[in-house]
Amino acid sequence: MHTTNLMTEGFNLMLMGMGFVFTFLTLLVIATTLMSKIILHFSKPEPVAKPAKPTASTLTQDKNTELIAAISAAIHLHRQQK
Amino acid sequence: MDKILLLWEGSGLYNLSLPQFIMIAICLSLLYLAIVKKFEPLLLLPIGFGGLLANIPEAGLALSAFEQSLAVFEPALMQSYADKLGLVLDGASKVANQEILLPAIKSLEDPVIMQELKTMAAVAGYTDGMLNTFYQVTIASGAAPLIIFMGVGAMTDFGPLLANPRTLFLGAAAQFGIFATVLGAVGLSSLGIVDFNINQAAAIGIIGGADGPTAIYVASILAPELLGAIAVAAYSYMALVPLIQPPIMRALTTKAERAIVMSQLRPVTKREKIIFPIAVLVLVALFLPSAAPLLGMFCLGNLMRESGVVDRLSDTAQNALINITTIFLGLAVGSKLVAHLFLTVETLGILALGIVAFGIGTATGVLMAKLMNKMSKMPINPLIGSAGVSAVPMAARVSNKVGLEANPQNFLLMHAMGPNVAGVIGSAVAAGVMIMYLS
Repeated sequence: MHTTNLMTEGFNLMLMGMGFVFTFLTLLVIATTLMSKIILHFSKPEPVAKPAKPTASTLTQDKNTELIAAISAAIHLHRQQK
Repeated sequence: MDKILLLWEGSGLYNLSLPQFIMIAICLSLLYLAIVKKFEPLLLLPIGFGGLLANIPEAGLALSAFEQSLAVFEPALMQSYADKLGLVLDGASKVANQEILLPAIKSLEDPVIMQELKTMAAVAGYTDGMLNTFYQVTIASGAAPLIIFMGVGAMTDFGPLLANPRTLFLGAAAQFGIFATVLGAVGLSSLGIVDFNINQAAAIGIIGGADGPTAIYVASILAPELLGAIAVAAYSYMALVPLIQPPIMRALTTKAERAIVMSQLRPVTKREKIIFPIAVLVLVALFLPSAAPLLGMFCLGNLMRESGVVDRLSDTAQNALINITTIFLGLAVGSKLVAHLFLTVETLGILALGIVAFGIGTATGVLMAKLMNKMSKMPINPLIGSAGVSAVPMAARVSNKVGLEANPQNFLLMHAMGPNVAGVIGSAVAAGVMIMYLS
């Protein structure tokens, strides 16, 4: 009796937990996508006026090696600070 | 001669019990792991040292004033405790009296009487041990994990996530490890191998979130008695991520899948980065208030970083403040590394379940990424799914490394950072659900 209750409770927690995590993050995906669309729509001229800082993706592949090394070093430092 | 005998009886060596000796050995091995093997040294070093301090015989650094008074067992004070509880101490021997009084206090449920006994201990001049004070201030209050979470927020760049919001699903899928482990823990109790209740099972499962502050926060609320073992398991396995994850990742993917090149991420504007933490907080407020402490502090830290107007605060949150908090959090966790809490079958169960949680989380993350790769037009390398367990940024680096083995030109690091930070949000949401459901 007691053990079956515990199992049921564990199972309920799993269903509810996973359900909730997925629902919440789905909502977050929708909200984020919408937010980005709205912001990009209203600030069209802005990216031209002040272009975003170059990220890994905006650089070409051959420069990437160097960049990755720098990022890895930065992350290593960050990791040590954590 | 009497004085020398008294000195000897007050010495650590005379009072050292075997369990304490074993605990000291365990704490020394934690220090070894931290210093020589570089396992999460920032936490394991203070934890290991806190454990050493907590196990010094007779010093009682990890005990509260009341526990201290029971350990000393001063006859006059014990008599007044017994009077309060309506017991008779027959006074034959100290051991006999302890057998009468201690079980009665252990089973005492009336909080008012308990409070009165504690007041009596305080009046008699007993004080809380140093580590006990640290524990009350940092963990029992919930403050330290939250302050650390703010610092983590201030270190987190949501750029890769904003460029590809769908990676949030990977962060969600990897949380399956948490809940599968809860089921495993209650399963083990049903089989009678160990005895976990549902709260303890949930606190153990959160190890699979691969997020130290979240694990400590949940454990301090749901199962403070297991906190030492859970924190040690969480931080040691986080250090082992580069060993635990790759075999699972390779087993679940083909070489062709591992070599998939992902399209470049679009640049993300500053405005999106500023509004994102606020959007997360609004969603938390609307749907899951029990996750508000964790995600609220996380979003605050991130907003301080991205707004760019409070660089001083952001700098403090991710450096000085997080370091100070880490020292005291580590010592406070160490105070739970005492024999009667740690030297149990349950600890072995926690260590075993914790690694299972990591493994399952990694596997479901990779499988989810495979599914998304099949469904979407944009190619998705399944390796970034494993980063969904959080363990920032170690798990993302592992994805990158395994990807490079399959295709030396393929850099997945930035792509893996998306699911990686999504995993932090995912495990905080999972923590919120558990706290809401169980307390």
